[in-house]
Amino acid sequence: MRDILALILSGGSGEQLGVLCAERAVSALPFGGKYRVIDFVLSNCCHSGVQQVGVLAQHAPASLNDHIGAGRAWDLDRRAGGVVILQPYQTRSHAGWYRGTADAIAQNWDWIEEQRPARVLVLSGDHVVRMDYRPLIAAHLERGAAVTVAVTRVPAEEAHRFGMVRVGSDGRIQSLDEKPARTDAALANMGIYLFETGRLADLLRARPVDLVLDVLRPQVAADQRVMAYEFDGYWEDVGTVASYYRASLDLVSPGSRLQLHDARWPILTRDEERPPVWCGPDARIEDSLVANGCRIEGRVRRSILFAGVHVGPGAEVNESVIMADTQLAEHARVDHAILDKYVRIGAGARVGESAPHGSPEPGAGHEWLAGLSLVGKDTWVPDGGRVLRPSVIGVGGRYEDFAEGVLGAGTVVPNRRWFEVLP
Amino acid sequence: MTGRYAFILAGGVGSRLCLLSERRAKPAVPFGGKYRIIDFTLSNCVNSGIFDVGVLTQYRPTSLNQHIGIGRPWDLDRTRGGVQLLQPAPGLATSDWYQGTADAIYQNLLHLKRRRAQEVLILSGDHVYQMDYNVLYAFHRRNRARLTVAVTEVPEREVDQFGILETEPNGRVVAFKEKPKGGVSSRLASMGVYLFDRDALIRWLVEDAAMSHSAHDFGKDLLPRLVARNEAVYAYRFPGYWQDVGTLDSYYRANLEFVQPKPPLDLSDPEWVLHTQTADRPPVRVVAGANVTRSLVANGCSVHGEVVNSVLFPGVVVEKGAVVRDSIVMHDTVVASGAVLDRAIIDKEVRVGRGAKVGTGDELTPNRACPEHLSSGLVVVGKQARLPEGLTVGRNARIGAAVAAEDFTAAVPAGGVVDGPESMH
Repeated sequence: MRDILALILSGGSGEQLGVLCAERAVSALPFGGKYRVIDFVLSNCCHSGVQQVGVLAQHAPASLNDHIGAGRAWDLDRRAGGVVILQPYQTRSHAGWYRGTADAIAQNWDWIEEQRPARVLVLSGDHVVRMDYRPLIAAHLERGAAVTVAVTRVPAEEAHRFGMVRVGSDGRIQSLDEKPARTDAALANMGIYLFETGRLADLLRARPVDLVLDVLRPQVAADQRVMAYEFDGYWEDVGTVASYYRASLDLVSPGSRLQLHDARWPILTRDEERPPVWCGPDARIEDSLVANGCRIEGRVRRSILFAGVHVGPGAEVNESVIMADTQLAEHARVDHAILDKYVRIGAGARVGESAPHGSPEPGAGHEWLAGLSLVGKDTWVPDGGRVLRPSVIGVGGRYEDFAEGVLGAGTVVPNRRWFEVLP
Repeated sequence: MTGRYAFILAGGVGSRLCLLSERRAKPAVPFGGKYRIIDFTLSNCVNSGIFDVGVLTQYRPTSLNQHIGIGRPWDLDRTRGGVQLLQPAPGLATSDWYQGTADAIYQNLLHLKRRRAQEVLILSGDHVYQMDYNVLYAFHRRNRARLTVAVTEVPEREVDQFGILETEPNGRVVAFKEKPKGGVSSRLASMGVYLFDRDALIRWLVEDAAMSHSAHDFGKDLLPRLVARNEAVYAYRFPGYWQDVGTLDSYYRANLEFVQPKPPLDLSDPEWVLHTQTADRPPVRVVAGANVTRSLVANGCSVHGEVVNSVLFPGVVVEKGAVVRDSIVMHDTVVASGAVLDRAIIDKEVRVGRGAKVGTGDELTPNRACPEHLSSGLVVVGKQARLPEGLTVGRNARIGAAVAAEDFTAAVPAGGVVDGPESMH
C-alpha cells in the first residue's frame, strides 16, 4: 500500500463536547476505557496496510502529539512513510489557521506531493469505527472512480445529523445533502474519501474551504465519477456528548456491535504500565469495562472506568464514564455522568443526582448535555457535595463553587486555568 | 549515572517450580497478574538509574529472549548501554556451558573490558522485591568495601535454604555458610545481590577459575573463601520486602499476597513503575451476574462467573457459572461454564471443560512424581492442557503441558500425574 497516503482530519475543536475538549482535540478524547478516539482510525490504517499517514491537527495539538509520538503503537514509526502530525504553520509569505477541511489539505500539499502517493485516503479522527480500507480501495480501482465516498445506512430519524447521500444503480452519487431536515435518502456520508492524487490537486487549485461543500458537491453536480462504497459495520461520530455517551454505553450493552475483544483486529494504543485491576473484598461490578490500574472497593454498574480509577468503599458508579486517575472517596456516588481525569469526589458526595421531582426545569440551552453531568479535569467535589444533572463543572472546579453544598440542575461552572487553582 | 553496569543471572533451572519452569526459565515465570519474575530486577535497575545491563541465560532462554527483546518496556533500547542477552557459547573462555554462577560471570568478563564501571552489580532474576541500588552503592563506598552483599532477615526454619551471613555491628561479614544445617546464630540471608569492586571481582574470578576443586559458584565457593580470607566483605541489610519465589508454595503464597488490601509492594507507585512487556488488550469486562472479589484481574479478561481471592492474567475467560477460588490463572486460559478451580495454578492457554472440578476433596496425598514440591494441596496444570468436560482432579495433582482431552481415562486422584506428549520433568 505504498501508493496510498491517509490524511486523518483531527482539527475539530469539539465545541459540542464542552469541557471534555477544553484541553484536547476530539480525536484525543479518551474512549472505551483505555483508548483515544483516533486509535480506531490509526489501528484501521495499521491493519489495512496503510503505512503513510498525516494527521491534520489544529485544536489543542499537544494532546495528539503526546499520544501519537513517533507512531510506535501502530507500527507507524517507519523509515519510509510513517505518521506525521501536520499543524498550521507560518512561512515568510503566509500564516494561516486551517479554514476548513479542504484548506487544511491544500496548505499541506507540498508535503503530500513529496510522498508521491497515487491516491489520497481522507479519514476522520473523530469516528469510532473498525474498518478495513482494502475493499474500499479495491472497489475504487475496479470502478475507475475519480472519488470514492464511504457511506453507511442510518435510521431515518437520525438523517438530520448527517450528510445524506443519494446513490444511483451504478453506484454513482447523485446528490449530497448536508444535515437535511427531511430526506428520503438512507445512506450517510461517513467522511471517508478516496481521491486520485492528480484529481485532488486540480480540485484544490480553486482554493476550496470545505471538502464536502466546495469539492465533492460541485463534482457530483458536474456528473463526475464520484462513487459510493457502502460499509455495514459499527460507525459512530462521537463529536457530541449524546453520541459519545451512547457509544461508550454501547460497549457495555449485551450484544454490542462494537467489538474490542478481537485478536485479529486489535485496537492499538499508547499503553501505560499499570498493575492489573484490584477488586476488594466488597467489590461489586456488573456490565462494565474496567482498565488496569483501577482499584474497586465499591459498586460499579454499566460504566466505563479508565486506568487508575479508585472507587472507594461503599462508593457507587452507575451508567457513567470515569477517565483516568479519578478518585471516588468512600460512599461517593456518581450517576449518569462523565468525569474527566484527575477528578476527586469527596466522601459521601453525589454527582449526577437527578433533580427532585417537581423542581424547576433547568431551562433551554442544556439539550447538548443529554441529561448528564460533565465534570472537567482536576475538579474537586467536596465531601457531601451534591451536583444535580444536567450540569457542567469546568476544568479545575473547586470547593468554593459549592457555596451551598449543592450545584443545581442547569449549572455551568466555567473553566479555571490550572495556575489559578494552586493551593 | 554513567559507568554503572549490572549482570542479571537468569539461567537457573528452577526445578522446585515444577511444571511452571519446565518449559521456561524461572525468571520468565509469570507473576502478579501481568508480570514476569525478572521484571522486578530489570525495573529496579532502570529505576535506580542503571541503564547498562547484561542478562545471563542458559536454561530454556526462548521465553526470556522474547520477553526482553531489545528492552523497550524498560527504556533499555538505547544507543549507549541498554540490555544485552548473554547466552553461553562454545569457546567463549575455557569451557562452554556455565558451571556455577561465578563461572557464568567469569565467562562474560569480556563485557567488562571497555566499561568504565568502578563496581559491578550482580543480581538474580528470580526474586520479587523493589530496591533502590543507589543505597547499596552508597553503603559500599562509605565502608570502602570490596564486596557488599545485600541481606534480608528470614525465619529461623528457613535458614537452611539460603546463604547465611554472620556480621559485626558495622556490617562487616565474619562468616558465610551456604544452606547451613544448624550451627548458625544469624538469620541474615544473602539476597543474591552483590556489589563488587570491578578489579577485585576480576582478580577473584580468575583465581577461582583456576581452582579445580571449586564448583565456581558465588554462594558455595567464592563468598565463603573471601570471608575466610578476611577480605573487606560487608552486608547491607535491606529493610524492605523480598521474596524468593523458588518453590510452588512460595510462588503461590507470594502471588496471593498481592490481592490483599495492603499488598507487600505498591505496584502502582508512579515513582517506581514495574515495567513489563504488555500486549494490547482491552479493559477487563465484567458482566451482570458476575462476582469478582479480593482479586487481581488484568486487561483482556472477561468475567461472567465468580472469582474470589485469585490472580487472573490477561485474556482469561471465566464463563457463566464457573468459579475460580484461591487460584492463579495465566494468559488466555478459558474456564468453561460450571467449572470450579480451587487452589489451582493454571498455566497459559489451558481449557478447563464445562463442569470440570480442579482441586477437590480433602485428601492430601503428595504428588506421585514430585512429592517434595507438591504436597500442600495445590493443583498444577501445564500450558495448553485440555481438561475434558466434567473431569475431577484431586489435590496435589499435576497435569502436564499440552495434555489432550483424550489423555484422561478417568478422574485424576489426589497426587495424580497426567503427563503430556513430551514431559521433560
